[in-house]
Amino acid sequence: MRGAAIATGAVVVLGWPWAAPRYFVFLASLIVVNSIVAIGLNLLSGYTNQLSFGHAGFLAIGAYTAAILAIRASWLPLPATLLAAGLGTAAVGLALGVPCLRLEGLYLAMATLAFGFVVVEAILNLDWLTRGNDGLHVPPGHLGPWALATDTARYYLVVVVGALLVAAARNITRTRTGRALLAVRESEIAAQASGVHLAAYKTLAFVVSAFYTGVAGGLFALVVGFLSPDSFDVFLSVDFVAMIIVGGLGSIFGSVVGAAVITTLNDSLAGFQNYRPLIFGAILIASMLFMPGGIASALRRLPLLASQTPGSASRTPGSAPRTPGSAPRTPGSAPRTPGSAPRTPRQGDDR
Amino acid sequence: MITRAMLLLLLAVTLSALPAAAQPGVSDTEIVIGGSNSFSGPLAYTGEQITKFGVDLYLRVVNDAGGIHGRKIRTVYYDDGYRPQNAVANTKKLVEQDRVFAIIIPQGSPPVVATLEYLEENKVPLLFPYQSSPVTRARRYVFQGMTLSDRSSKMMIDYLAGQRKYKKFAVLYQDDEYGKSFLTAFEKDLGRFGLKLVAAESVKREVTDVSAQIAKLQAAKPEVTFLVLVPGPAAQALRERQKIGWTDTLMVSTGPLTDERYLALATDAAEGVEGLSLWPDPVISDLPGVRLYREHMQRYFPKNEPNRYSLAGYFAGMLFVEGAKRAGRNLTRESLIAALESVKGFESGILPPLTIGPDHETQKQGLWVRVEKGRFKPLTDWLKSE
Repeated sequence: MRGAAIATGAVVVLGWPWAAPRYFVFLASLIVVNSIVAIGLNLLSGYTNQLSFGHAGFLAIGAYTAAILAIRASWLPLPATLLAAGLGTAAVGLALGVPCLRLEGLYLAMATLAFGFVVVEAILNLDWLTRGNDGLHVPPGHLGPWALATDTARYYLVVVVGALLVAAARNITRTRTGRALLAVRESEIAAQASGVHLAAYKTLAFVVSAFYTGVAGGLFALVVGFLSPDSFDVFLSVDFVAMIIVGGLGSIFGSVVGAAVITTLNDSLAGFQNYRPLIFGAILIASMLFMPGGIASALRRLPLLASQTPGSASRTPGSAPRTPGSAPRTPGSAPRTPGSAPRTPRQGDDR
Repeated sequence: MITRAMLLLLLAVTLSALPAAAQPGVSDTEIVIGGSNSFSGPLAYTGEQITKFGVDLYLRVVNDAGGIHGRKIRTVYYDDGYRPQNAVANTKKLVEQDRVFAIIIPQGSPPVVATLEYLEENKVPLLFPYQSSPVTRARRYVFQGMTLSDRSSKMMIDYLAGQRKYKKFAVLYQDDEYGKSFLTAFEKDLGRFGLKLVAAESVKREVTDVSAQIAKLQAAKPEVTFLVLVPGPAAQALRERQKIGWTDTLMVSTGPLTDERYLALATDAAEGVEGLSLWPDPVISDLPGVRLYREHMQRYFPKNEPNRYSLAGYFAGMLFVEGAKRAGRNLTRESLIAALESVKGFESGILPPLTIGPDHETQKQGLWVRVEKGRFKPLTDWLKSE
């Protein structure tokens, strides 16, 4: 049954460009790019309880790194460009993560918020490299003999990279590292007492998160084809946070769903022009009130789906869906009380 | 579950295989045009005025009078909040989903530039983008809206250095494409008179404190100081000058800046400031086209004050209608381009008689104004840039 579901999913994802109108191929690429960012952010915020409002900054670094490499070192193969975008951003993540070890909660949120602004300022001031406010045209990438000149070609690239990163994220979250990250989220003191090296794992979360976002940035540059500092404002960072809250904190599946929902919503609300922020905000508030654990946990509560979802039978009732009292808590609030359903990655979180 | 997904897939395939209309956006009864614009973000007010209260105002007048060759015009706008990636997404949606015939009056250099290549590739006319950088020049599918910066510069320098014999010029400019395109143009045009800028100071976008730059400019003792800024920092520059009592320079605003909003922000510090205005005064001008614009505004949107943004949109709507009328009943994207290129001596009653021609520039003039008692008073007739 599970295999069938995955196969159906794969068929739909791979067949999408042949079935959907061209615009929706582009939109699907954006959804995958945003999913990668959301997974990266979720590894940091959802798993390790470090809230970041600066991921637009990481995305910008990845996007500009990839774009500048594509322009100035066009002989570099595309996978290497994307990898460089990820690694470069990860290095910045390391540089930001270490000083941020001392911060938590609101203070961390403030520091990351400031980071986002600093990145935009840096892009503006490095205008000999980034062309500042004038923006940068990104040449279509080449993958061996193929030029990624069409929306469909770019879509497949994005999907392949996205699938690799989803698989990697599942592996991270299911191994010792993932459990250590979750332990840090639940209680730093308890985690430390059980032998989890706090500083190392919190920094690791920053680095991995930045890597994901950097690779996503590289893909973003290719998919959109034009970069300007205006692309990476603070509201984009807020959108990313909204994705993981709506989708479900601490869930890979939730990150993807959240990215899909917010991206589609943003797109379909563009037609409401100046009412867009109002409607968008109202939907966010409503979903936080009525689906406090995000879509991922709300889906799990549906009896129809629960019976179809593999592994759900083994789940003890009440363990997965958070109780309303504990659920709307965002990372950064007080440590969880023992009664609020501590979760382990085995509970289908990463599906 | 599998069957449902397959059904959906099948449905999608059938839908996408339906035959496409011969000319996108044109049916027997309707023409659909649209654009991505700022309805949120820093330029939301401008975006709303040029589209809903500008283009749409003129199109409502035309539609109520029966449309163009029996077709009514419908507009679709999407909000990009000044973000280039949203402008790209919106433009793709307009072209591929809404199947618009043409893109009209999108705003701001970054969002517009981000969509240029896509529109050219798909041969979609981009009509009158609301930005002044020459990056959009000399493209087959683009018709310029606002007077481009190099033309503005030429008129300003010819008037000030040629007619009024000023010799020492300085610039306070925004550090981006808008500011820098003016800076290079000023340098070039001053060179024709054997002059050089005595000082040039830049302001980062979104920065409002300009006191350091004003102090440095004052030290260079220019006779004329150009402001190439947006309303907020420009008003700040004027107030700062008033505060430090710097009176022996003439402050001059560029075309895109010379608007009512900037006057309102600067209040009495704007008195005596001069500038190049791209439009006649929307509130007090007696030109027949501007009077008609005010009447239409009063009829359809009585609560909306006349302003030059909606006037610019109104004019864009008028030009589109003129092009579509000339193209005739058999309206295609190519016939629209040919029709617009053939516009000669078109009387809008707002701007001087308009001839477009192969360079696709619809505005090449401006007039000199001075702020007196909080309004722009014209000092010259239309200045030419050719």
